[in-house]
Amino acid sequence: MSVPQNGAAALEAVRLTKSFGGLRAASDVSFVVPHGSLTALIGPNGAGKTTIFNLVTNFFTPDSGDVRFYGTPLAGRSPGEIAALGLVRTFQAARIFPGMTALENVLAGAHLHVRAQPWKQMLWLPGARREERSLARRAEALLDLAGIGRFRDAAATELPMGAQKLLEVIRALMAQPRLVLLDEPAAGLNDNETAELAALLRAVRDSGITVMVVEHNMSLVMGVADQVIVLDAGSVVASGTPMEIQRNQRVIEAYVGQEAAA
Amino acid sequence: MEEAAQIIIGGLLQGSVFAIVALGFSLVFRVTGSINLSQGAFCILAALAAVTLEQTLGWPVALAAAGAIAITAAAGFAVGAATFVPALARLPMSSMLILTAGLLTTLEGLSLVIWGSQPYALPPFSGEAPVTLLGVRLPTQGFWIAGAAVLIIAGVWYLLMRTAVGEALRACAENPTAARLMGIDVSRMTLLSFTLAALIAGIGGIVVAPIISFQFDTGRFFTISGFSAVAIGGLGSMVGAVAGGVMLGVAEQLAAGYISSLFANGIALGLLILTLLVRPSGLFAARRTRREDVRDEHRVYHAIVRLEGRGALVFGAIAVAVLLALPWFVPDAMMSSLIITGILFIGVLGLDILMGYTGQVSLGQAGFMAIGGYTAAILATNFGWSPLLGTLAGILLSLVCAVALSLVTMRLRGHYLALATLAFGLLVDSLTVGLTDVTGGPSGLVGVPSFAIGPIEFDTPARMYYLVAALMLALVLVLLGGVRASFGRALQAVRTDQTAASALGVNVPRHKMAALAISAALASLSGSLYAFYFHFLSPEMVGTSRSLEMIAMLVLGGEGTLVGSLIGVALLTLLPTIFQPLAIYKTFAEGAFLVLAVRYLPGGIFGTLAHRLSTLRAASPPPAGAPASRGMAP
Repeated sequence: MSVPQNGAAALEAVRLTKSFGGLRAASDVSFVVPHGSLTALIGPNGAGKTTIFNLVTNFFTPDSGDVRFYGTPLAGRSPGEIAALGLVRTFQAARIFPGMTALENVLAGAHLHVRAQPWKQMLWLPGARREERSLARRAEALLDLAGIGRFRDAAATELPMGAQKLLEVIRALMAQPRLVLLDEPAAGLNDNETAELAALLRAVRDSGITVMVVEHNMSLVMGVADQVIVLDAGSVVASGTPMEIQRNQRVIEAYVGQEAAA
Repeated sequence: MEEAAQIIIGGLLQGSVFAIVALGFSLVFRVTGSINLSQGAFCILAALAAVTLEQTLGWPVALAAAGAIAITAAAGFAVGAATFVPALARLPMSSMLILTAGLLTTLEGLSLVIWGSQPYALPPFSGEAPVTLLGVRLPTQGFWIAGAAVLIIAGVWYLLMRTAVGEALRACAENPTAARLMGIDVSRMTLLSFTLAALIAGIGGIVVAPIISFQFDTGRFFTISGFSAVAIGGLGSMVGAVAGGVMLGVAEQLAAGYISSLFANGIALGLLILTLLVRPSGLFAARRTRREDVRDEHRVYHAIVRLEGRGALVFGAIAVAVLLALPWFVPDAMMSSLIITGILFIGVLGLDILMGYTGQVSLGQAGFMAIGGYTAAILATNFGWSPLLGTLAGILLSLVCAVALSLVTMRLRGHYLALATLAFGLLVDSLTVGLTDVTGGPSGLVGVPSFAIGPIEFDTPARMYYLVAALMLALVLVLLGGVRASFGRALQAVRTDQTAASALGVNVPRHKMAALAISAALASLSGSLYAFYFHFLSPEMVGTSRSLEMIAMLVLGGEGTLVGSLIGVALLTLLPTIFQPLAIYKTFAEGAFLVLAVRYLPGGIFGTLAHRLSTLRAASPPPAGAPASRGMAP
């Protein structure tokens, strides 16, 4: 189960380093996300997990280091170009588009895959309308898969927090990514919703999409991840299977030390 | 040599006035993060009030000036307390900009009602006789202007840097939340800055009044010059405001002295656009304008107006039927207003794509109307082109300008975009006035033929009506198709969250450009039809007041709904015709409606109505698809 479909690297970060003023948010961070895996990035608050996502997707430019996505270097590419390569991310605070319904939000995720040019959409050409309908069907299926189908026509920003997080996840899936980066998808979810999310994540992985997730919820991480990378103070302190991580002394120190200090 | 000295001194004097207004701008911007476009109206309010005190009540000039300044400061206090301050806490910055544009129009309209449209003059404070200094003749009023400028600059500096109140003001500028935590009353400081800015503007208006002729709407000239000065100098920088004002004044006077006074505006605006292009944050940029990010677009209106399926069909069918039948039911005198409503609606439709859907504020939309109107009219009148070809040529030229403009503004965000479009509109405006040989200048272009497609001439009101109605319907249908598909979703994504949009692969600059191009093409079409319908076109028909009016129409009707703005266009076009005696209140009502709509009807009339309807509908049957906030469904 925990063996990736094949060992090829989907995402490879090599010695990523980034400082903000005097603060080293990431130093020499290297990791590999194998194709077909569900990799979790964990670590105490302020360990630099979100920074890693921002560096990988070029929302921040790294001071040094490389990122390769299925062998393609990502340096110098805009976030939009990176999305077009099939690497799609979500944000820690659900960045749902206000002024749109839940369905429209999910549909917005399909932006890269829309074939019909705007002028065809404006002329209501049959091809464009057919495409819209098929996208809508896919979006509805995803809404149902995430268990939030009943919010289809509701204003997205009026959804409960948990539903908004799930909405953002399926909006990213709508982009048909090869690898999806999820930033704390379980934050704000109740236990039921977390269980739904775990099922959703497994389904995504099993459908062939590689998943990398930043998460605080340990039971979720240990339940679904194939590989866990532990970050502390901007550095990788451990990586391995959930079983290995749970026994790792440095990880326990990082967490327990953090808790004792807090 | 003497002439040059004369011109430069004139420029320095004019520049001093610009600097005074610019200081007011910078003060409000520093403290609130918002640009107050109503600034210039307070200049003229002071000047007009002084005229009344001096000429009607017979006060001595000095006393009248002091009284007028007091009145202006009081007006600033009242306007600030009633509108600006409460709105600042609730509205995104783009709406604040529109709100202050509405305040400008309201104050102008009020001046029109009180003082009429005739020009006024105020006698110089120290007599008419000029002083000759080293062979250069100086009007004595110049000393008053320079003195006031120095006094205000010193006063503002002292207040900000040497007093406790100044420290509080600066704290609000740095970080309003932290300032609030430190026990500073941010609303009071906001009100103080707004009132101070009005006071400063009042003083500027009073000292310059004796050397200019002014009327109810001269204020926008001060707003625009002050705004340009601030942009050239750097938003939020006090040094920049003064330097920008002086540079602008000298440049305008040099242009007026050596080229033509008609181009003075154009030169200044060219300078502005050049600054935006080369150094968008201005020559003396303040350290940073973090405030723009602190209070930002998360306050955009969130309600959703969607007519789906059968509802949309019924609504559409009724609309088409009403549109076709209307000419039989309205008196002939009204036909003209209906046609104008339709023509303007076409332009406002484009503005809705740009502002309502993509969130880009344009204060210069009438510039594209002018390009379309003049290109088509000139080609058809003087060169014998067919009106249809002329219209298409106008659209093409507008598209070229839109692409150029969007290359300038691509790197700019927030206020700078609105600023660049304002400059663009004014530049076009000054060209239409200045290129007298081509455009007919201020008196306009006459003898424009009727619109025609091949042999079909649209030379009767009925024909023109059906042409405009057909265009309206076609355009609404086309745009609806676009906004309801992926194109529209991408535009809305850009409006509300550019970061999340780009993370999904939306090309943000390209969509902004597309929205601007669509809006430019439609404004151009609207301008062409306007010229062909009136057989006449003059600069003020497609000037900056028109740009502001179009925004008022859009916001009042309802942004982001396409059809909603028709309500706004119809109201502001038809009301003055129906109630002729009230026509003098038109400007005032336009401004007041805009302020009220921005403040209290975030979805406009259409949005509010549709929202009410949908909540009614949702309340009656069991809410099948309504959001429930309990746990997950099985």
